[in-house]
Amino acid sequence: MNAIQTTDLTKRYGDVVALDGVSLSVEAGTTFGLLGTNGAGKSTLFRILVGHLAPDSGTVTVGGRDVTEAGHELREAVGYVPEDAGFPPSLTGREVLTYQARIRGVPKAERAERVAAALGTVGLDEAAERRVGGYSNGMNRRLALASALLARPKLLLLDEPTAGLDPLGVAEFHRILERLREEANLTVVVTTHVLAEVEALCDDVAVLHQGNLRFDGAVDDLREMGDGENLEAAFRSLIADAEGREPRVAPAVER
Amino acid sequence: MTDTEPRPDSRSEPTETDGGVADETSVRLPTRRGDGSALQQIATVTRLEYALSIRNRWAFALTGLFASLAVLVVALGGQGGVVRTDAVVVSLVELSALLLPLVALVYGYDAIVGNDESGWLGMLFALPVPRSRVVVGTYVGRLAVFSGAVVAGFGVGGLLLASGGRLTPAYLGLVGAAVLGGAAFLALSLLISTVAAEKTHALGGTLLVWVWLALVHDLVSVGLIAADVVDSDWLAVFVLANPVTVFRVLALQSVPTVTGGMADVLVGSGLTTPVLVGALVAWTVGPMWLSSRLVARRSV
Repeated sequence: MNAIQTTDLTKRYGDVVALDGVSLSVEAGTTFGLLGTNGAGKSTLFRILVGHLAPDSGTVTVGGRDVTEAGHELREAVGYVPEDAGFPPSLTGREVLTYQARIRGVPKAERAERVAAALGTVGLDEAAERRVGGYSNGMNRRLALASALLARPKLLLLDEPTAGLDPLGVAEFHRILERLREEANLTVVVTTHVLAEVEALCDDVAVLHQGNLRFDGAVDDLREMGDGENLEAAFRSLIADAEGREPRVAPAVER
Repeated sequence: MTDTEPRPDSRSEPTETDGGVADETSVRLPTRRGDGSALQQIATVTRLEYALSIRNRWAFALTGLFASLAVLVVALGGQGGVVRTDAVVVSLVELSALLLPLVALVYGYDAIVGNDESGWLGMLFALPVPRSRVVVGTYVGRLAVFSGAVVAGFGVGGLLLASGGRLTPAYLGLVGAAVLGGAAFLALSLLISTVAAEKTHALGGTLLVWVWLALVHDLVSVGLIAADVVDSDWLAVFVLANPVTVFRVLALQSVPTVTGGMADVLVGSGLTTPVLVGALVAWTVGPMWLSSRLVARRSV
């Protein structure tokens, strides 16, 4: 069962092709990495997935439904954390989530409980009454994750979730995601350009480069394409292939 | 794995939305809208904007500014202990015609683009709410703060006049015109904030708009008529084409005598109160409608 399916997805910004006929699928219940260098098309794909951008051609379905038809209802069931998430510094963490819960239409009787649960899940319960302006970068990222969890989603889309975090912050974020995945059976899609993050978190991975899909398969398969030790050799080879030489693997690998 | 191959640990339960194969990890989109009604969503964004303006002390700063202005003019309007209310109103209108749009434009210029740069707009747009509701809620929240500041600030001047038994309908008309004018200026600033790519662009845009509306437009209009470039019948068109001028004419209409100058010329446009009020409403609704349409194109 696929949580996400894209077929021949293309998006251009003027003469720049951000996505060029990308077809991939994300299996429900897995953690999927969208890996690529800056400008690879990862964020464009995410913005299409949450309905912020319309593709020029191709189709995208989330939960079997065409995202271009779902409109903002799509985001009722999907937790999305944009890359540069921020909050009004004068609000407390609890107030941020409470306002968001109201906008989401969470019934009043459930609101406080659901906000508290989201704060607890990301380890911000003790900082809930502090103003967000005093939060560290890592706490801000965790608050953004908590806001996505208010939807009680089955699909989490995280755009560069650990960008700018120190190693301890990254480890904490990964630990939360792992626990969420185990306890809530989430499908998680993460964009990143950090190979270690893919190794730590993901079951499957797609490699995008300059809008082209260079690989779509299991992380273990990608590792085996290189030296079998880590992903770096395979990733370098895919990028090099894309910049002149013929690909050593098919752009999309059937699983 | 393909669509027809459920995971080994799945618990199948066919539904309409997943093509007949489901498991506990299935992602299902709602087939109907959630409990977030339009009114509730707009009201929540409105409350949020209002609360932020209180915490950021904008509400107190604006109230203090308008109160200081009103008290100063009322105090200076007294000659030999006798306050001439008409003179106070005319002075306050002329000062407000400069300050009111400037303050409203500066207060509103970052409403959308500022939230975008801070990352908050992206978080709001990640919620299941149409962007137009975010724009409308943001506007209404700021309008509530601005209108409250105008009423409270000018209200202090009104109390001073009332304490001397000299509060007139003209002063109350000024307060009403200021609220309507503020709504229009705020809507213009929100439109600029919606289309601007950066805060600095929005600030520059609002200042240019202010220079045109508050300083240049009337001079050009009256100059064109005085130089016989256009017929004097065009005066009404020139007035309606500028919300600042509409505000001035509306506020001065209830003053029995206007003491010469540009104000006399403008009041002579012959526009009635309903037309002027309608013009300010149009200057509010038009930019707001445009903002709520254009925000859909905004890249976040």
